[in-house]
Amino acid sequence: MPRLRLSSVSHWFAAAMAAFVLACIPCSAQMISAHPVTAQHLKVELLADTTTVNSAGQNFQLGLHFHLDPGWHIYWINAGDSGLPPTVQWKLPASMPVSSIGPMQFPVPQRLPLGPLMDFGYEHDVLFPFAVQLHPTAALTGSSLPIEANVHWLVCSQVCIPGKGTVTLSLPLTSSPAQPNQQTAPLFQHARQTLPRPLPAGATVATAQDAQNLLLTVHLGHSVSSAEFYPFDQYLIANAAPQNVKPLPDGFRMTILKDSSGAPIPKQVHGLIKLPDGTGYEFTAPLAFLKTTVAPAPRRGMLHVLLLAFLGGIILNLMPCVFPVLFIKGLALVQSSTEERKRLRAHGLTYTLGILVSFWIIVAVLLLLRAGGSHIGWGFQFQSPIFVSLIALLLFFLGLSLAGQFEIGLSLTSAGGELAQKGGYTGSFFTGVLATVVATPCAAPFLGVAIGYALIQPAFVTFGIFTALALGLALPYVLLTLQPAWTRLLPRPGAWMEYLKQATSIPIFLTVIWLVWVFAQVAGLNAATLALPAAFLLTAIAGWAMGRWPARAGSTITAIILLALAISLPIVAAKYFSTAASATEQKNANGLQWEPYSAQKLADYRAQGKPVFIDFTAAWCLSCQVNERVVLDRDDVQQAFRTSGIALMRADWTNHDDAITEALAQLGRSSVPTYVFYPGDATAAPDLLPEVLTPGIVLDAIHAAQKPQ
Amino acid sequence: MSLKNAYRPFLVAVSALLLVSTAFAVRVGDPAPNFLGTDSNGHTQTLSQYKGKYVVLEWHNNGCPYTQKHYNSGNMQRLQREWTARGVVWLTVISSAKGQQGYMTAAEENQYLTKMHAAPTAVLLDPSGTIGRLYDAKTTPNMYVIDPGGKLIYQGAIDDHPTTDVADIPRSKNYVSAALTEAMAGKPVTTAVTRPYGCSVKYAE
Repeated sequence: MPRLRLSSVSHWFAAAMAAFVLACIPCSAQMISAHPVTAQHLKVELLADTTTVNSAGQNFQLGLHFHLDPGWHIYWINAGDSGLPPTVQWKLPASMPVSSIGPMQFPVPQRLPLGPLMDFGYEHDVLFPFAVQLHPTAALTGSSLPIEANVHWLVCSQVCIPGKGTVTLSLPLTSSPAQPNQQTAPLFQHARQTLPRPLPAGATVATAQDAQNLLLTVHLGHSVSSAEFYPFDQYLIANAAPQNVKPLPDGFRMTILKDSSGAPIPKQVHGLIKLPDGTGYEFTAPLAFLKTTVAPAPRRGMLHVLLLAFLGGIILNLMPCVFPVLFIKGLALVQSSTEERKRLRAHGLTYTLGILVSFWIIVAVLLLLRAGGSHIGWGFQFQSPIFVSLIALLLFFLGLSLAGQFEIGLSLTSAGGELAQKGGYTGSFFTGVLATVVATPCAAPFLGVAIGYALIQPAFVTFGIFTALALGLALPYVLLTLQPAWTRLLPRPGAWMEYLKQATSIPIFLTVIWLVWVFAQVAGLNAATLALPAAFLLTAIAGWAMGRWPARAGSTITAIILLALAISLPIVAAKYFSTAASATEQKNANGLQWEPYSAQKLADYRAQGKPVFIDFTAAWCLSCQVNERVVLDRDDVQQAFRTSGIALMRADWTNHDDAITEALAQLGRSSVPTYVFYPGDATAAPDLLPEVLTPGIVLDAIHAAQKPQ
Repeated sequence: MSLKNAYRPFLVAVSALLLVSTAFAVRVGDPAPNFLGTDSNGHTQTLSQYKGKYVVLEWHNNGCPYTQKHYNSGNMQRLQREWTARGVVWLTVISSAKGQQGYMTAAEENQYLTKMHAAPTAVLLDPSGTIGRLYDAKTTPNMYVIDPGGKLIYQGAIDDHPTTDVADIPRSKNYVSAALTEAMAGKPVTTAVTRPYGCSVKYAE
């Protein structure tokens, strides 16, 4: 094993110096003389690119030339995980100021792996040039310019040996212009080629970081499939981490694990990009945190969101699917007398409890799924044909009952004074449950914000938001039961109640039509045109049996069997005849090129500096369809998209898709529709559009996205 | 959520664990990873057994000129005596693989300790490099200071003169002493991370 023998180096050096001094006393001033140093595993010499120097001053280059034994290396300015770069101290004649010699220039290094470590440096042969700038009136004295360099280095293979030595060079001074040195010219020429260059005109490097990685996006005007990155800073990257290169049409993108020692990451990246041909480009770029996520939007306060959820809950009462349920409960109040006040309150509270429990069950399921790592979003239930068909059948059943075909046991339609009955409390409770279930398809767009916020919050916040939503939904009915006096404001009971009840079946059936359409998107045409209508028929027959022979065991059993069949039919059909449509296929007909969403593709476009518009949509999302038909498909909007050079992507969430749910979550959303513009600048935050689009909003956003950042 | 996705939570949990164990090296401010090693006297050494005490880890390679700078000058031994006298546990770790520079058998190391008058609490023989890789030790010497709560409070170089010149020692600022002094006075460590200097740790390839 070679060991350090510092003293031997210095002894050798002293001998060399003595030899040099002796040898040069008779030296002609007109001859260049250089004295290299040979040490363990390397030889170092001082070179110049001229054979003479003009005594009146001129510019030339010095170079420190290292010859290394095979397998041995010295280090770059940032040595990597271990090692040290060589250093030099000059000893110059009095007439030559030290400041005339520029800093040591480091050629582009190579990666030197050592087990789990990674160093940056040079093997074989390397020349470190120094630019010498002598003032034109330098007035150098004497017949020669003796230059002395005290060099320290660390040379390593498996083991490391520090060394030092003094190399000298004496250049003749002349009054004529300097002569280029033909012998050293190739070395200097090679060094010039291996020095880092500034980025070529038009080329850019953008850097960003996320929690773990440093991301470089390099535009060079041509695709690059392999490259290396060398940081000038010590604490930027994990030196040994693989540098994953992803080629782009005009450059590449690189992801490297960041340094994890806990030292502060520098605010800007100063580094080298090395291409396979050895060319190195030096750059400095500010280091921003990658904004793929929108800063939790205009940071809504917890209270604000709770209030929003509460209001949303109240407004849910007016939705076509919920209103009939509530309306019928309200009718019961109209008929009740004031002596039932106490009971009424109890019913109001039971109803509230029914809603609360249902919402809490939903929250619990959502939180469990979230804890399990599933990506969920609001509306996910429509991705399930089972859920859609069940809701459709339930509403159809309810609609039939409202229309007067039969009376069902739940106090839904029991507009009479059944509240006094014992089973009434169970009825009230399940009315609450039913109100919640039928409310889910109708979560209005503004609820999307609250629910989206809720789903990305800690569990207790999610819980609080859903509770506020439940209380809002329960509020109108509870107010009526708490203050029955207010029911006097309602018209007196009469035949109109029956007409109104039947009329409320109309919005219910409308909702059913919509659900059939949703089912068709999720489960395919076969299931939707055959199985679901057949299930409706079975439901209708069951209802008829119950209405025709009420309270008979035979009819109830028949009804239950028919209903079970009705429920299983679309489920089986969806499983075996599923030919789910996709929102993307349907829309590509309209001339604009919509690509299916892919995170990779998005990253590529952003890396290229191309702005991107993403339409997060689903076939079952009615407002998505409205926005697409009414706004995105408009001629002027299409024209603007076409001329803008904005890449268009459609994220089709009709069926469960983790990648899209993830993308939504990054935007702080959990529901469709979501519209987002990514500006060309990869470090700029994306721009979220409102859920209800107007042509003006989209056109403005297109112009904003086109603007050079 | 369909049934076929039921296994996903487990996958997620497993990959998260893998990620945690690979993506994070030791980080100042975080708990120092526990280790299990054998010292040159054949005793088992763990970090956890020293809970409640300051612990210094010193990566060592007696063939490395940078280590020699601190041992030939007596600097390292002085630090070991000074701090172990004040209750600090000083663990020297040798992660050189067999056949590599600095690899020591237990007997060789004990001879070396006697010859050098070294005074660490124990010397951990880590030829597999397990502890070295756990701590992401890069050079010899590479120093780590762990507080009584098991938190890493310093990692990096021994001092601010990355040379092999013994003459530099008196004018150097010793980062280990500085970190221990500050921490024992209840102050935060001013310089908590530095770039370690020295020879690369001679890990098994």
